[in-house]
Amino acid sequence: MNTKELTKGIFKENPTFVIMLGMCPTLAVTTQVINAVSMGAGVLFVLLFSNIFISLLKNYIPGSVRIPCYVVVIASFVTIVEMVFHAYVPAVYNALGVYLPLIVVNCIILGRAEAFASKNGVLDSAFDAIGMGIGFTLALTFIALIREVLGSGTITLMPIGSWDGVVTIPLLNKWPVRVMTLASGALLLMGYLKAFFNWKTMRSEKKRKSALKEGAAA
Amino acid sequence: MRSFFKTAIVLCAICAVAAVVLALVNKVTFPEIQKYEESVVLGALEEVSAGYKIGLKADVSDNEYVSYYYDLKEDGNIKGYLLGLKTKGYGGDMTLVASYDIKGVLLSAKLVSDSETPGLGKKAENPAYMNKYIGRGSEESPIPVSKNMLSSADSAAVSGASMTFNGISRALAAGSDYVKGVK
Repeated sequence: MNTKELTKGIFKENPTFVIMLGMCPTLAVTTQVINAVSMGAGVLFVLLFSNIFISLLKNYIPGSVRIPCYVVVIASFVTIVEMVFHAYVPAVYNALGVYLPLIVVNCIILGRAEAFASKNGVLDSAFDAIGMGIGFTLALTFIALIREVLGSGTITLMPIGSWDGVVTIPLLNKWPVRVMTLASGALLLMGYLKAFFNWKTMRSEKKRKSALKEGAAA
Repeated sequence: MRSFFKTAIVLCAICAVAAVVLALVNKVTFPEIQKYEESVVLGALEEVSAGYKIGLKADVSDNEYVSYYYDLKEDGNIKGYLLGLKTKGYGGDMTLVASYDIKGVLLSAKLVSDSETPGLGKKAENPAYMNKYIGRGSEESPIPVSKNMLSSADSAAVSGASMTFNGISRALAAGSDYVKGVK
């Protein structure tokens, strides 16, 4: 058992900010917090089961047709999620709309199947999937929070009972930065966030190097 | 040649297993999905009936936007019509139900199904979206079919989702014209 596989997807190899995979759904669904969370949950479920099954089947799948086999496995799980959501949680199904079937073409899932599950054991693959899924969900929620607060002046969560699940932010709600809700705003924000994460990685790298140098000198 | 057959058999087996699993899941979920879809349409019809009694259904096949209509009655007299409308948005087909008085003025409307973008066109599912149309449809105050027929606040609210606005506006305007023609 290797807990490193579980934690690496959250920060060190975050699929959105570091590996830069699955950009289409990241830019498209992050207009509201609830969409980001639901999309993340859907991806986590599909990623977990596709990684487990691909890891189990890796010795039986011939190399020349591995990609079609992965796509069949992934598409089956996405269709199951879609049918189950539609039948039992129609509110979430409606909120995700077209992005639910689009999980099939989410690069993170095929990427993890090819790069990890097809070369590692079942338990490690499951941990990798959970870590990557949580990392993706956190990244999406973070982007959605910034975009929704600035672009609409609200935070949309799950409606509970009589509460409609919308937190309204004064001032910003009246004068929102409308560009943040559009695709161009998402790209702009993604650029700034990527720059911020690069700066953080470079800084910690520098610190590590100087600590190594000091250690060597001593 | 042997490896060729092995590859084909493995791929075929994986597809067959996937198909069987999906068929089973579909068998379980399909009745639930159908029940849900029917309840959505019935709930929407009830919601937009504006307090009138819903009469008999009549199917319409010769109109681009109108699929069917019901009479709306009070004390046996026809007070208006409840229309099922179909149109196109940014994400494909959309269906609406809308009630009009006998002069074609919109009483109430609801978006029943759509595949619009969450956070943009999906906002049309919000009941408040229809406020800009309600009470319009007469000769003096027609249903707005372009952004310059809206107030500046309403116009700003539909920016970024013009295709959805255009689809809904055209369907509601066509519904109003249809009601004027039925009389």
